Amino acid sequence: MSATPTDSTPPDDDFIAAEYVLGVLALDEKQSVERRIATDVSFARLVARWQQQFDGMNAEFDPVTPPSHMKALIDKRLFGTVSQQSAPFFGNLAFWRAVAFAALVLAAIGFGRDFLNNSSAPDRQLIASMDASGSAYRTVAVYNQDRKQLKVSLLAGELPADRSLELWLIAGTDAPVSLGLIKSAQLTEFPLDRSLAGKLQEGTTLAITLEPLGGSPNKTATGAIVAAGTVREI
Amino acid sequence: MTPEGISQLITRVSLRDRNAFDALYSSTSAKLFGVCLRILSNRTEAEDALQDIYVKIWNKADRFAIAETSPISWLVAIARNHCIDILRARKPSSSDLDQAANIAEPSANPEQSSIAASESRRIYDCLGQLDQARASAVRGAYLNGDSYEDLAARHKVPLNTMRTWLRRSLLKLKECLEA
Repeated sequence: MSATPTDSTPPDDDFIAAEYVLGVLALDEKQSVERRIATDVSFARLVARWQQQFDGMNAEFDPVTPPSHMKALIDKRLFGTVSQQSAPFFGNLAFWRAVAFAALVLAAIGFGRDFLNNSSAPDRQLIASMDASGSAYRTVAVYNQDRKQLKVSLLAGELPADRSLELWLIAGTDAPVSLGLIKSAQLTEFPLDRSLAGKLQEGTTLAITLEPLGGSPNKTATGAIVAAGTVREI
Repeated sequence: MTPEGISQLITRVSLRDRNAFDALYSSTSAKLFGVCLRILSNRTEAEDALQDIYVKIWNKADRFAIAETSPISWLVAIARNHCIDILRARKPSSSDLDQAANIAEPSANPEQSSIAASESRRIYDCLGQLDQARASAVRGAYLNGDSYEDLAARHKVPLNTMRTWLRRSLLKLKECLEA
C-alpha cells in the first residue's frame, strides 16, 4: 500500500476514506474504518469531504413511499406506544440525581441560597437540568415566577472565548426562541416577557447551543447543542 | 421541505420532540425508503432496514449539529451505511457472485431530469471524464452498494485489478472535483 514518488496515488488515508464512503469494503474492513472515524478527527474529516463530493449522486435514489404501517412500527420500537404523548427527556432517576448534584454544587460555591431564592419562591418551582451526551457542559436553570426571571448556571464547562452560548426555549411544536446569551458561568439572569413567561412551564424544553460570538446571526439555532433539558415542576 | 426546515426538525428530534420526529419521517421517509430499495433490492429487507434507520436517526440526531453537511445528505448517508452493512453481512455465495455478473450495469449517463443542483452536476461532469466502465464501477458502488467482489465479478477482472482501477479512478475524480 506504499506509494512510490512517481506514482500519483493519493495518500492511503484519503483512499481508504473514499473506499469507505463508496461502500466497497468488506464488513470487517468497514467496521475497523468506523472505529477510526470515531476516534481520529482528521481522518473523519477526510471521510466527510468524500461524502460531500459524492452527495451529488443522491439525486439518483428515487423516492418510494413506504407502506403506511411502517411509522407505527418504528414508534412502537422507540416508545413502546404510538400515542403522541412526548416521552420525558430524562429518566426520573437521572433527573433527580442532576438536581441533587446541582444543589450541592450551588451550595458549595456559595450562592445556593440566592440562586434557589427559597424565601420568596412559591410552593412550586420550575427547574431544568441541561446536559447532552458527549458534551462537556452541564447546566441548571431555575425560574422565579414572581420576578419572571430565569437563572442559569454552568455546573461544568467553561464559557468559550471565541464563541457564545445561546439559550433557547422550545415550547411544544413551536420553533426555538432565543432567550439570550449566557454571560457568566456562575449565574446569568434572563428576564422573560409575559408571552415567553407563559410558555415556560412543565414539559418545555430549554437548550443551549454553541453560536458565533454575539449569538446566532438569524433567529434560529445554527450551532451544536451542548446541553438540553426539560423543565420540571418541583 | 427546505434544507433549513429539515435541519430544524433534526435539531428538535435531538431534543426528543416526537412531533418533530413525525414531521421528519413524513418529509424524508420516501427518499430513505428509495435508498433501501435500491441497495437491498428486496422489499421485506428494505422495510426492516427503514425501521432500523429511523431508530438510529432518533438516537443519533444530537450528532447532526456537529456534522457539517446538508441534512438530507446526512440522512441518506445513515441509510446507505445501514443498508451496506446488511449487504456485507449477507453470506456471499458463488451464486450471488454469478448473479452480480449478470445484473445490468447502471448507465453511465443518469437521467438528467433528476440532476438539478450544481453540486450534482460537478460529480457527474467529473465521472464523465473517466473511462465509461470505471465511471460505472464508481456509480455502481455508491448507488447499488457493490463491494469490490461484486465489481470484480461484474467487470470480469481479478479483485486486485479492481482495487487498482478504483484507486486510479478516485484519484482522477479527486483532481477533477477539487480543480
